[in-house]
Formats: sequence, structure tokens, C-alpha cells
Amino acid sequence: MRKLHRAALLCVAAAVSLTACAAGSGEQAEGSGPAAAPGKDDRFSLTVWSNYSGREQAEVTKALESFKEKFPNAEIKHEGSQDDDKITAGIRGGNPPDVALSFTTDNIGQFCSSGSFQDLEPYLGRDDVDLGQITDAVRSYTEYKGTRCAMPLLSDVYGLYYNKDMLAEAGITEPPRTTAELLDFAKRTTKRAADGSIEVAGFLPSMPFYANNPQIWAPHFGAKWEAPDGKSGLASPEWAQMLTFQKELVDFYGYDALERFRAGLGQQYSADHAFHQRKIAMMIDGEYRTAFLQDQAPDVRFGTAPFPTGKPELYGTGFTAGTIMGIPKGAKNPGAAWELIKHLSFDTETIVELANGIKNIPSTKAALADPRLEVDENFKTFIDLATSDKLQGNPVTPIGDAHIKAISDFATSWQAGGVPDLMAGLAEVDQQIDDRIAKSGK
Amino acid sequence: MTATLERVDEARTAPAAGRSRARARHRLTVLAFLAPAILGFALFFGYPLVATIAFSFTEYDLINPPEWIGWENYAYMFSDKLFRTAVHNTLWFVVVLTVARVVFALGVASVIARLKTGVGLVRTLCYLPSLAPPVAATLVFFLVMRPNEGPLDSFLGWFGIEGPLWFADPAWAKPGIAAVVLWVSGDLMIIILAAILDVPQEQHEAAELDGAGPVRRWWHVTLPSISPVLAFGVVNSIILALQLFTQAVVAGSAASGSADVTGSTKVLGFPENSTLTFPVWLYTQGFRYFDMGYAAAMATVLFVVSFAATALLVQRMRKASYQEES
Amino acid sequence: MTAAVGARGPVAWRKVLDWVAVHSLGLALGLMFTLPIVFVFLTAVMSDSQAFTEDLWPREWHWGNFLEVFEQAPLLTYLGNSLLYSMLATVGMLASSIPAAYALAKLRWRGRNVVFLLVVGAMMLPPQVVAVPLYDTWSGLGLTGTLWPLIVPYFLFDAFSIFLLRQFILTIPQSYVDAARVDGCTEFQALVRVVVPMARPGIAATALFCFLYTWNDYFGPLLYTSEKPDQWTLSLALSTFKGMHHVQWNLAMAVTLLIMVPAVVLFVFAQRSFVKGITFTGVKG
Repeated sequence: MRKLHRAALLCVAAAVSLTACAAGSGEQAEGSGPAAAPGKDDRFSLTVWSNYSGREQAEVTKALESFKEKFPNAEIKHEGSQDDDKITAGIRGGNPPDVALSFTTDNIGQFCSSGSFQDLEPYLGRDDVDLGQITDAVRSYTEYKGTRCAMPLLSDVYGLYYNKDMLAEAGITEPPRTTAELLDFAKRTTKRAADGSIEVAGFLPSMPFYANNPQIWAPHFGAKWEAPDGKSGLASPEWAQMLTFQKELVDFYGYDALERFRAGLGQQYSADHAFHQRKIAMMIDGEYRTAFLQDQAPDVRFGTAPFPTGKPELYGTGFTAGTIMGIPKGAKNPGAAWELIKHLSFDTETIVELANGIKNIPSTKAALADPRLEVDENFKTFIDLATSDKLQGNPVTPIGDAHIKAISDFATSWQAGGVPDLMAGLAEVDQQIDDRIAKSGK
Repeated sequence: MTATLERVDEARTAPAAGRSRARARHRLTVLAFLAPAILGFALFFGYPLVATIAFSFTEYDLINPPEWIGWENYAYMFSDKLFRTAVHNTLWFVVVLTVARVVFALGVASVIARLKTGVGLVRTLCYLPSLAPPVAATLVFFLVMRPNEGPLDSFLGWFGIEGPLWFADPAWAKPGIAAVVLWVSGDLMIIILAAILDVPQEQHEAAELDGAGPVRRWWHVTLPSISPVLAFGVVNSIILALQLFTQAVVAGSAASGSADVTGSTKVLGFPENSTLTFPVWLYTQGFRYFDMGYAAAMATVLFVVSFAATALLVQRMRKASYQEES
Repeated sequence: MTAAVGARGPVAWRKVLDWVAVHSLGLALGLMFTLPIVFVFLTAVMSDSQAFTEDLWPREWHWGNFLEVFEQAPLLTYLGNSLLYSMLATVGMLASSIPAAYALAKLRWRGRNVVFLLVVGAMMLPPQVVAVPLYDTWSGLGLTGTLWPLIVPYFLFDAFSIFLLRQFILTIPQSYVDAARVDGCTEFQALVRVVVPMARPGIAATALFCFLYTWNDYFGPLLYTSEKPDQWTLSLALSTFKGMHHVQWNLAMAVTLLIMVPAVVLFVFAQRSFVKGITFTGVKG
């Protein structure tokens, strides 16, 4: 028995050290300042992993190729359909790409604090990069507690979409500016069948639904994730206001009727999206929807505006998140990788062309103001939101999106009438999030 | 323990020296037959198992070396609200899927076994869905069972029934996923069918001579002879239920309207975490929240519990089959 | 036979009824299983903007979708990789699992039950977790980016197949194996001459499942080969049809059907070996 015990312990130790070795390999160029940039005519190849595919991937490849204007002998291999799991596996296995693109902005805290994306500060310092070219909100979601380990590649900005005809039919000429107005307009544009079921919902407040996510809504109510003491701060009047607004509208429809209506609506990225089908009159969504509507529902006459806010002075606030790119730990050619990232982050022509190609918002001030950017009346709303100093970035924590799931689950149960005491419930969610952060040890 | 069941009949009458030589040769034969399996077992099961148990006592973010933290991950299970939800959901699937899948597959196989014409066609049709990738299969069911406008609700409408919200209703989402799993259980069906067709014809004829009708023959001849294969079905279904992942993620994600096949973490478990299975939560912890230590602890718990349960079950079944034999 | 003496009519009548009942049930089952596949097909021939809407019937039939997927992705290369993976895995599985299953089912030895339990237990570790240490091992060997990390294990150990084969071999009466031993067969000969022919339906089924499982395997190729497109399998290619803000459902479904075609063909051919069960014919030869 004793012998067995010791053998088992040995095995455990061996296993742990084995994997630790694998995970720790490839730390060569770290801690010793930035890796040197390649010479202009050097021959080198860079591997880029992203989760793009199809047409989007082709557009991004085109943008990557423009790097050759600066380094004519560079070779760039762009592999699409690579998710975050794959990037992590690559880092662990010691064969990561030189540049990794990730859609999961929520994971930035983890990427920076674990070092899976290398700290870019040495490069920024060496090359004297002016981060002021990037808007504050976008900067906020690409760094964690002062560690900048990623740069933005375009971004999404969220605002209000409204169906002009449906609002006009209800005698409304201007889109709502406050959530009180939104509530009123939503009621006025809602249509019910004789049996009480919903035919058209003015605004659908359920969570989660399309872009209805707590992190996208929160800025418009001035709701903050952190309390002044650094702990989770959801038990606040602002969050309460947001959830009360949501509940009031849910109760107006009737929870069961609303759920039935919602369950019959189309998918977020398919042609029978509820807004395309004129089943909802207003919604919150990203700038990319303008392209979808032109493509799939050209008959829908729609307008865009900043999303209504809880307090009038907040009007013009928007939420933003976007693709992030970094140099993974153990990358073979970090010096050249940084040059590529710098190119994609700051080269106005490349950014503008890519933004036009996949209909996203550029992430630098110069590109936002560039005349070559294709901006129509509806897209302009999002450009304005993106250049406003009220723009709010995606919240950053060391726990992925566990905090968002916690409040989202709470909102789901709250809208169904399952929460007797709002503030007590929010305090409980705070506790869950704080526990989680404490456990993460960061 | 159980290993003492072994007998070496053929060697019993031989002289002592010959017996031990025969025994040694027998051992060598067994070893030769099992050699690749033993090596593979150690590499692809033993090592990962040991590593997982070891990780479960560490704080490990998959990137930096693990740090020993003792029982902390196990303690956290008690304050993790969704851990309980996940356990509950997975237990639900284990109970429902195991019973439903075996009964369903046995039923369909029994019908097919009795067909005289069109056997091949019906068998192919029944197996067809199992060839579809799980993501596609789940999406198809989601479309068919779409509230109000889906074909299933139109069908129910003819009878004046208003269908529930299916995948969007916390009470119906799990049965919906169970339906998907049944729909793709063609493999078990084929296994049982093969076993049924293997039942020696003479046994049927003997029973028929005794005046047994088709139902009694099915009960007294077919069922006992295919019991090892049914046992496989039970254990296989339990494992399948314990590891239910893709269908749950896709169904939750599609019903929430996000249609992100990979499943955004925020909509995992939709609606109201009713589809948040144990592996889904485990995966989220390990690969979305980068808490591999906790995920490993969950994996260890899952393994220990399911292994104990299966060991008990296998023991039981063996006893039952011995009684049958004697 | 006993009943046939005085009541020939009713028996024949009952047989007809029985036939009708069983066959209509079979037909109903077949339809029930197939209808959702029909939806997949209908979606596959829809336009991009109609796919995944509430419409069930295509407004226009876009047969070109089946060609378009070939333009969007080098499906023939993927087909080659899929075939390589599935065929080698199946061959390897048979070579390693049949002897192991036989040892577990028909040989008597100390510790057999414990080993059997371990085989069953090997299926119970969540694959997502096991993947972490295994990936490290394979990358240590420099084999990531190829299909070998997926193929090699089948040549050594596949718990599912061993378990399934063991259960099938168990259904073979012990007397046949004993008879072979009495005839002077070694265990290997008994396995090859008696057990393998008698367990042919089970072996065919196990091989088929192995082939189809690897054919549809998505997470394995994703983890090990997704950064090397020339190593992709067909099932992995499915992911090409989804973007960040866009999923091409019609093309994804078209590829789904195309992936299913070889599997269906294989099944149609393979199923004959299930039908020709052992009964008596295969034994003495």
C-alpha cells in the first residue's frame, strides 16, 4: 500500500513537470527588451492565425499583403478558422503563430495577465508610438491593468436601428433619445393580434437576444462594472435603472407572450432576422448591420441613431468592442510580427480599405476621418459614436466573460419575474463575481 | 477481488511442470493479444488521467506552470452555483437518455428485423441521420421544432395543439436535445440489429415448436441472447449522456438567436441554463475562463463518479448473466 | 404448425395483418428518420438570403451551390485527407482491438474483469480535458499539424471498439471456441478461424462506426491540423462557411450533404455483411 502511494506521487510529479515543461518552452526573447525589427529587404515569413473565413478572410489577407509595400521580401501565411483554443494549444505546444487575431475581446485580461500575448510596451517605447491615435475606448479594451498586450484591428460600435416607416405609422418623427421615450415609442409601435399574441414588438427587451447583452446596454445607463473600491459594483442605482427599464417593457408585453414571440424570430445572422422582417421596429446592433440590411432587406427603410440613454446627458454614448491582435508567447519572429501589427494598427490606407471591405469601424482617429472611408448616412451615426469621447469600451476582467454571464443569467431570471428583491439579487451577483475573481488570483 | 473468478480448466489434469509451462504460455498469449492495448491505454488514458488529477490540485491557466493549491478547486464547487445546475442537467440526461436510447434502438431494430421486404432501404433510412455531423443534426431539429412556424408546430396545429417553445423553453430544451440524440442513435440500432440477426435460427425454431408466438420468442429467445449487446447499449448511452456537449451548445446558441455555432459563452445553457451540461461548464471553465485547475477537478469528479457507477453496473450485469447461464 | 391443423384461414389472415403492421411501422420509421435530412437538402439548394429563414421550400433551386462549395474550398484535397484518416484508423483499430476483445471475452486470466472495467473507464474522461496533456505530448514529438496524432492511437487502443467487439464476441457460444481448442488450434488460430468469421457482423459494424466516427470527427482535426489547410479533413472544411458576422447556411448544408455521400455509399455496401449473420454456415468452414 505504502509503495503504491509513493509510486502514484511520483507519477503525479512526473506528469506535472512534463506538462509544465511543454507550457514553458519557447520563452526565448522575453524580458530582454524588444526583438529587433527586420531590415527592409530581409527575407522572412510570418504566420497569422485568425478566426475569419470565406470572404472576410480574403479581405483580411489583402490587408496583410499590403505589408509587403514596407517589406517587399516578407512572406505572410494567413490561416483562417483558428479559434482561441487553437491559439492556446499552439502556445502550449511551442508552435504558435507570429501574430494571433482573436474575436474574444472578453479574454483580454487573461491574455495580458498570463502572458499568452506578449507585452507590447517595449516595442511601443522603442518606436515611440503615439497611442493617442487610437480612441480611448478602443485602447481600454486592448489592455489590462496597464499592460498592453494587444492592438485593435477595426472595431464594432453599437447604436439604435429604427424602422422609419413603422415609427412614422405610429406618428413618431424622431428616434427616441431617452429610455423613457424608447419605452413610450416601443409601446406605440407594438402590434398585437386579436388573441393577444404579439405581431410586432416595438423594442424587444429580452436578454439574451441578438445584441441585447448587459455589456452592450450598460454604458447607456451609466452603469459601471466596478465599484470605487475595485470590487464588482452591480448593486448600483444605474444597474437597477437598466433592469427596471427592461422589466417594465417585458411586463408591458407579458413575459409568456414575449417569449413565444421571441422564440419564433429568425437568427441574428440570417435573412429572416426580425428587423429585416419588420417584426421589431427598433433594436440595438452594431454598424455591420447596415451592410446586411442593404444586402438582404433592401426594402426596409431604416435609420440609425445613438442608442437612447437613461439620463439625457449621456446621449451620444456608444459601446465598442472588436478584434484584437497580439504576439503570442513563443512566437518565432516577434520583431517582424510587431512590424506587421504596427502596420495593421496604424496604416491609414490599409485600415480604411479593410473597413470598407468588411464594413467595420476603423480604430484610429486618422482612418475615421479619412475621406476614402465609405460612409453613408446610416453608417455615419457609428462613425460619430466612435469619435465621441463618450464611447465606452468592452469591460476588462481576468475572468473572461464570467461576470457578463453572471449578470446575464440574473437578467434572464429577473425578466421572468424570478427575483423578489432587485438590489439583494444584484448584491448576490456581485458576490459571485468577486468570488470568481478572488479564485482566479489576479 | 473479482479477478479470482478465473479458472484454467485445460491445465488442471496435466502434471505440475507441464501445467506451469502451459500457464506461462497462456499468460504470454494473453499478453501478446493485449500488448498494443496496454501501451495505448497507458499513453492515451493513464497519462492524461494522472495529469488531470494532478492539475485538479493546482491553479493552472494553461500557459504558466501550475501552482499547487491543494483542495481549493474542490472547495470552490460548493460556492459555484452553476456547478449544481450542471450536475442536475447531466443527471437528467443520464437517466432519460439511457432508458430512452436503449428502448428506442431496441424497438426500431426489432421492427426492422421482422421486415421481409425493403429491409435494406428502411435500415439505411433509419441510419442516415447518424451520418450527419452533430452540429448539422442539431440545427435541423432546431428548425423543425421552431415555435409557431416550424413544421412540427404546424403539424401539431392540425390537431389544435399549440406546441411549447421547445428549445427556448427551459422545461422543453432538454427533451428537445434528447430527441436529437435519439434521432442519431442509428449506430446503436445497427448494433442491436446485428445482434438480433445473430441469434441462432435453431433457437427460434425450437421455441416455435414449443408453441411460442413472436412476442414470447422475442422475450424469451431474442432478449437473453443479445443481453451483452444491450449491456453495451446501456453503458454506451450513459457515457454519451455524461459527455453531452456539442448538441447542448448548438441548441442553446441557436435558440437564443445568436446562431454562433461555436457557442458564445454568454448564451451557453440557454434558456436559463437548462442546457448547461457538466462537460459544457467544465469546458467553459477550462478554456473560456482559463481555469484548467478547476476544470480538471470537475473532470476528476465526473470520472470518479461515473466510473464507480459503471463498475457497479457491470458487476450487476455480470451476476445477472451468470445466473442466466447456470 | 400445431395451430395449422384446423385453422388455416385465420393464421394466414393474421400473417397478412402482421405483415402490413410491421411494414407500415417500418415505413413510418424510415420517413420519420429521413424527413429532417430532406430539410437539409432543401436548405442546401436555397439562395444565401433564403437559407435558415422560416421558409421550408426553396423559392429558386440553386443547384449551383453544390458546385460553388468546390470553388470556395479545395474539397478534393480534403477528401483525400479524410480518406487517409478514416481508412488508416479503421485498419489500425481492427488490428489492435480484435485480439484485445478476444482476450477479454474468451480467454481466462487473472485480472480480466479489472482490465475490462478500465477499458470502459477509459471512455469516461471528458475528451476536452484529455486533449490538453495529449496535445503537449504530440507537439513534443513534433507531430502537430499532421493527422498522425489522430491515427496512431487507433493502432494501439480504442476503448469503444474493444468494448463493442468484446460484447459481440461474448454472444458466440463458448462451445465453438472450445471445440477449436480441442482440435488443436492455438488461441490465435481459434481467433482467426472461428471467432472472426462468426463475429463478422459485429466486426463489420465496429469497423463502420470507426470509419464514420473519424469521417465526421471535427474537434480532432480542428485541434491538430487547423493551421495546416493542406491537412484539413472534409468535416473541418465545414467551418470555412462561417464568418464573424455571417454564416452561409446553404453552402454549409450543401457540404454537409456532400460529406455524407461517401458515408452513405459505404453504409449501403457494408450493411450486407450485417445481414449475412453467422447462423450456421460460417462455422464449420
